[in-house]
Amino acid sequence: MGGLQKKKYERGSAANYITRNKARKKLQLSLADFRRLCILKGIYPHEPKHKKVVNKGSTAPRTFYLLKDIRFLLHEPIVGKFREYKVFVRKLRKAYGKAEWTNVQRLRENKPGYKLDHIIKERYPTFIDALRDIDDSLSMCFLFSTFARTGKCHVQTIQLCRRLSVEWMNYIITSRSLRKVFLSIKGIYYQAEVLGQPITWLVPYQFAHNHPTDVDYRVMATFTEFYTTLLGFVNFRLYQSLNLLYPPKLDIKAEAELKAEFEEDYAMDSESYLEKLAALSASLARVVPTAEEEEAQLDQFPAEGEDAEVLEAREKLQKEQDAQKKLFEGLKFFLNREVPREPMAFVLRCFGAQVSWDKSLCIGGTYDVTDQSITHQIVDRPNTDQQYINRYYVQPQWVFDSVNGKLLLPVVDYFPGVVLPPHLSPFVEEKDGDYVPPEKLKLMALQRGERPEREEEEEDDEEEEEDDEDDDEEEGEEEEEMDDEELADEKNLKAMERQRSQGKALSVKVTPGKAKVENRMRTEQEEKAEEKRLAIMMMKKKEKYLYDKIMFGKKRKVREANKLAAKRKAHEDATKADKKKKKAKKQ
Amino acid sequence: MFSNGPGRFLGVVNMAAARRNKRVAATQPGFLKLNASLDHNELNTRRKRVNKNKKKNWNKHSDIQDVEEFLDDVRLQERSTGGLISEKPDDSLFFMDTGEHVKNIQKGGTEKKGRRSRPLRIDLILQHDSLVPPPKDVLAHQQPNAKKLRRISQKAEQLAAKGVLPRRQKLLLRRKVAAGSKTKEQLPANNHPERPFYDLWEEPSEVTADPWFLEQTKKKLVKRPDKLNQKPSALPAVEIIAPGGSYNPEFFSHQALLLQAHEVEVKRQKEEQRVERQLAVPREDKATEETVFQEQVEGLLEEEEEEELEKEGEEPAEDKPASQSASREKKTERQRKREKAEKEKEQRKRVEQALTGRRQQLFQLRSIGVELKKREQRTSERQAKRHARQEAQKSLPRRLGRLKFQAPDLEVQLSDEVPGSLRLLRPEGSVLKDRFKSLQKRNMIEPRERAKFKRKHKLKYVEKRAFKAIT
Repeated sequence: MGGLQKKKYERGSAANYITRNKARKKLQLSLADFRRLCILKGIYPHEPKHKKVVNKGSTAPRTFYLLKDIRFLLHEPIVGKFREYKVFVRKLRKAYGKAEWTNVQRLRENKPGYKLDHIIKERYPTFIDALRDIDDSLSMCFLFSTFARTGKCHVQTIQLCRRLSVEWMNYIITSRSLRKVFLSIKGIYYQAEVLGQPITWLVPYQFAHNHPTDVDYRVMATFTEFYTTLLGFVNFRLYQSLNLLYPPKLDIKAEAELKAEFEEDYAMDSESYLEKLAALSASLARVVPTAEEEEAQLDQFPAEGEDAEVLEAREKLQKEQDAQKKLFEGLKFFLNREVPREPMAFVLRCFGAQVSWDKSLCIGGTYDVTDQSITHQIVDRPNTDQQYINRYYVQPQWVFDSVNGKLLLPVVDYFPGVVLPPHLSPFVEEKDGDYVPPEKLKLMALQRGERPEREEEEEDDEEEEEDDEDDDEEEGEEEEEMDDEELADEKNLKAMERQRSQGKALSVKVTPGKAKVENRMRTEQEEKAEEKRLAIMMMKKKEKYLYDKIMFGKKRKVREANKLAAKRKAHEDATKADKKKKKAKKQ
Repeated sequence: MFSNGPGRFLGVVNMAAARRNKRVAATQPGFLKLNASLDHNELNTRRKRVNKNKKKNWNKHSDIQDVEEFLDDVRLQERSTGGLISEKPDDSLFFMDTGEHVKNIQKGGTEKKGRRSRPLRIDLILQHDSLVPPPKDVLAHQQPNAKKLRRISQKAEQLAAKGVLPRRQKLLLRRKVAAGSKTKEQLPANNHPERPFYDLWEEPSEVTADPWFLEQTKKKLVKRPDKLNQKPSALPAVEIIAPGGSYNPEFFSHQALLLQAHEVEVKRQKEEQRVERQLAVPREDKATEETVFQEQVEGLLEEEEEEELEKEGEEPAEDKPASQSASREKKTERQRKREKAEKEKEQRKRVEQALTGRRQQLFQLRSIGVELKKREQRTSERQAKRHARQEAQKSLPRRLGRLKFQAPDLEVQLSDEVPGSLRLLRPEGSVLKDRFKSLQKRNMIEPRERAKFKRKHKLKYVEKRAFKAIT
């Protein structure tokens, strides 16, 4: 009735989307170039809500982009560069075909190139934005730096990735910001805290590549191109924030130390400096040379009420972190050649240790095996021929577990040839009521400063001696806490709880009686419990129902956890029984 | 060539004048012919009679051979002797024969030497043997525009002395500078291992220019839409493997991971089996003894019963049109009135009912309230559910193209593969693939499959001849 007839698919969601092919034609780019441009600019395909409408009645599966995004792409100066490059390739091919070598040379000299700086600035307007998104680029750079130069990707890209990843590792070492390490079957996961941002990245094991065929290398190379640029700028800024020289230079002192005699044998002159940096054994030069970094004191503000509590908690956390940063300070490590050098050196140096290795293994080793001041030697073979008395021989897992546990674990469990305790993931955070593996419980107990339990003592006679040695070290630490009565009481309680959770009967014992002291805390707790009970009684029916439901859920969780624990106990018992049988047979 | 002697007026060879020329040349005093017999021959032949009023015939029938011969002869003489023999002085043509003493002297051991010093035949062939000197280049001595050029050069010298450069040179110099700066501008490639970096997020210096002008001159880039800064997925960039994926896992977490992998495998197997089942031949289609027998007997038994059944089915469905025509008969006035009254009555009744119902609702207030509450609760529940679903979908891979995202295989090491130490670890899976799949999972690229290689022409197998010979 009057007015123009409305045409279909000219407004609404159909007008907001554009198919990939149309977008490509609008930009006058080939599909490969279009894909590259989208990756660089951070424009991703979209799945429309009403596909059939957007697809103008067809239900064929297509890739859609938002029309606004594509319009935005039209303004990109790189599009012009892509076209220029296309023309360049065409001219070059022609010159080759005609065998006009001077022309070829001239063309090559004027090869059009482009920069991604403005795109990075545009996608990450502030430095913190870039830092938040650095996970991907780190993983990619570390991955590409391990590639062999086989022509799967450009050699220069590999070299650049190597350089950037080495720079990053050196930064992490200097800033001591590594927090967690996890050795998985896939690769090594690291987590660091840089400027308050948790940053996680994955590093593949060396020599672990079989190039998968179903991966589009061109796409990956494009991502890497973007990510290397991003990481370069982030590195620059991070180095600046620590007052370090960029590109990184070795300390003068360290450089003198690293002056090896047969340097030429190891690497070419052009590469040896990077190799020395990559060895991670020396500290970096600063813009203004300072003797040592002094600890920045946290400012104290007077606070009241809840603020005070929060502040206290934060202070405690800060203290804990500071302690973790100095975990290996003063220790001197030596890596045997069967140990993966780079991750070990990286992790150890991140916590203030000194590291060295055999001269023939890699450049940058500063001291020999024979050095008497070495405190730990990392060994990954069951038996070593020559042993020094004044150092510990431990397996590499000790280092990683210590880092995750934030304390130096007893070395007994990690001696060469010993069956290692499991390597737990530091990225798992159990809620209360979840099943917690006993190894983690043990670790938590250690963190609280308790003595490790002695369950194995009766069974493993050989280990006893080692344990005794272990005791001697730890007594010093423990003495301070032992005098505290209440704490001990609580500990006992917890131990009981744990034992119960493991389904073990309490050993009956008669202890000399003690005068019951009026325990203020206990009474307080009782009062609280009473209050809670009353509150539950006073609840409305509906709320009560909900409360019961929640409680039931919690109980169920606990029940399940208990079940798992019982299972574990059964499993352990079975293995123990097996061991005993074997022993008996041997004897 | 014809500049001297009797050949001078033969410089322009005209067909018509050929005969006269020849005669003139022949009558020249002292002209000697090298080839005398030709002239003789020509005199004997009889002249042919042809019409001379046509130009064509002039060309065709005028005999110029004698002129050509003469000219050839002149050229030959010039080539071989360097001029006409008739003009040569006698000294150059003759010599006094005084004996053979020169030959005797040469007969010693010189023969070998001569052979050795004799030039190669190829050189002899290539040698210039004509005695006619090559024509002189006239322009070698003359210079076109000499005066003008001299003046220009003189002026240039003067300017150079003053230190003024000509325009062209100035342009060239300018271009050189530009070119030099351009090469400097060309920065190393994006992936150059030693490429420099700088502080990208430095505070930019204050821009005072008009923003509109900057935008139009492409000095300032278009603002990025805010929506583009949202991440396409809520998933983290690096997903950490389950604790069971540790190189030295705790027993239960490892079991949990194994169970997960097992479930995936079971699902896949079920899918496979389902396809197999669908492809299999259904049981009723398989031939049994009974069906085989029936097939053999087909058509031998009588089939009367079926025909009877078919006949019965056709009869009904004929009354309807008659009844319809009856109802279409016109209503009377009374009928209409009655119907109208009935209608009104019904309507009134309905209104009344609604009114009473509304009045009754006053007493149902509580139940209505309960119902409302229920409805509200239901909507809120639905809202919550929808919200939760939307949240969950943010971390799910979307359908971005022809193919659906397929989760990669779980990396798992079986219980007997778990290594005792780091040294014995065999890495599982590929980090590259993990990264690639992660990008797909986070909706950053659409899942694709590798383009299959398509052969344009069919392969043709041919036995090589060599191979044939062996077998």
